Amino acid sequence: MMNGIWEYWNIGILACWNMGVLGTGGAPHATQHSTIPSFHASVLPLWSSAWPAGLTMLGLALAFAIVLLVASERLKVHVDPQIEQIYGALPHVECGACGFPGCGQYAKAVHKDAQLLGRCAPGGSAVAARIATILNIQLSGSGAPVRPIVRCRSHTEDRTFYAAYLGIASCTAANALSNAQACKFGCLDFGDCVRACKFGALRIVAGLSTVNYRKCTGCGACAKACPRNLIAMVPFHHDPMMTVGCNSNENGKTTRAMCQVGCIGCGLCAKQSNAFTVENNLARLDYAKYEPSGQNEAACNKCPTGAIVYRGVGAPAPRPAKARPAASSAASAPSTS
Amino acid sequence: MDRFVALLMGFLSVVLVNNFVFTKFLGTCPYLGVSGRMDRAFGMGLAVTFVTALSGTLTWMVDAWVLTPLHLEITRYICYIVIIAGAVQLVEMYVRKFFPSLYEAFGIFLPLISTNCVILGICLFLDVWGTNSLLEAVVISTGTGIGFTVAICIMAAIREELALADVPEALQGAPITLITAGLLTLAFMGFAGMIK
Repeated sequence: MMNGIWEYWNIGILACWNMGVLGTGGAPHATQHSTIPSFHASVLPLWSSAWPAGLTMLGLALAFAIVLLVASERLKVHVDPQIEQIYGALPHVECGACGFPGCGQYAKAVHKDAQLLGRCAPGGSAVAARIATILNIQLSGSGAPVRPIVRCRSHTEDRTFYAAYLGIASCTAANALSNAQACKFGCLDFGDCVRACKFGALRIVAGLSTVNYRKCTGCGACAKACPRNLIAMVPFHHDPMMTVGCNSNENGKTTRAMCQVGCIGCGLCAKQSNAFTVENNLARLDYAKYEPSGQNEAACNKCPTGAIVYRGVGAPAPRPAKARPAASSAASAPSTS
Repeated sequence: MDRFVALLMGFLSVVLVNNFVFTKFLGTCPYLGVSGRMDRAFGMGLAVTFVTALSGTLTWMVDAWVLTPLHLEITRYICYIVIIAGAVQLVEMYVRKFFPSLYEAFGIFLPLISTNCVILGICLFLDVWGTNSLLEAVVISTGTGIGFTVAICIMAAIREELALADVPEALQGAPITLITAGLLTLAFMGFAGMIK
């Protein structure tokens, strides 16, 4: 069968070609006359054997077209074009920071309930604004981007260890042991947060988990991963943000024995600036009240252990552990020497 | 009774002995792509089973009742592809309507069923194997889909365990999956020759 059609096809082509060439060639009648019968003899069988194939396929296609038409009407799923637009506006990193399994689900949820707007941490206010435009609603004060702050500033050389920990290399495992390191509050440096981060924004620098704020999207996965609840999600009204780089509730003497850069709860910072409070032997900065002022600067400089540090994209390096507090409150920036 | 036994043997043959994934290496794309989790693998298996059963049966009918009497066997491929694409479209609409979460989990793999070689494979093998009754075609094409489901579910179960295993760094991900697939094939080769 295949050979048959192929043969007819070839003859047909040849015939056409002959006619064309000879027809324009100039010696018309005699030659053309001889090709005409073979042209008829080849094209007609070709046609007669081709039409059932075409008809079969036409019938098949028609049948399926009808079935699919009926099905598409019966099984129609109404998808609001707004949901697709919202989905398109989302960053598609599927981090789950919004509390939904993925961007698709969040798009659906936010379309149903506009209260959920602004949950997308990687997208931040830009995405929230775009979704608000799609939903045709006004966005009120979208707020500063939320970023993690590790409330510990001690590196390995600042800490005290009773013994070498040789157990499972994870913070959760080390935290189950009461004395993996002397301090019960500080960074354990096994990198549970580093593994939790989908964006490669965290790494361990000399024993301290350090955030790369250029890569950070603020999804908060690290804060959930830390078994010591050391990572706080802070709205960065200002960048760099000031923070107390310690989470220890031990009294001053104990803290000093365990860590060279821990907060001893002396209260010097609270005397300089009302953004600081001391509770349970630990100074706390009210991030909402913080602004880059001379008072806060002075509090940072006066801190006897240098526990008050900057965090953020342009954060200056913290004062080294052994350095004395700056003598004057007029010092412009935390010492980098 | 003989007929029943023949059908049963044919069914077991395509599920175990001539399993398309293990012995003909057809359909390895979803076999490796969607076998990360058991529930998705099972869903994919069911979708493929539905499509193989539907398109195998339809193509056999078209082949036996239309194409062969009209001597149009040459158009088999085109007709089969039309039928398969139509069946996949139908499945896609159905899944989207009734199993939206499954629909989202499948993603691109659902429309890609239409290019799954298992399906065109069974449509063509029905002719190669000389299937000569509608019932036989239905049983064998359904069995092919079930064979695929068995393969992908075994793979998914192993991969779920593998996710917790301590795999050497150089073998993590695709390499260990391919090694697993090879070992599975070797295991299923043990069935070879049991049923002709």
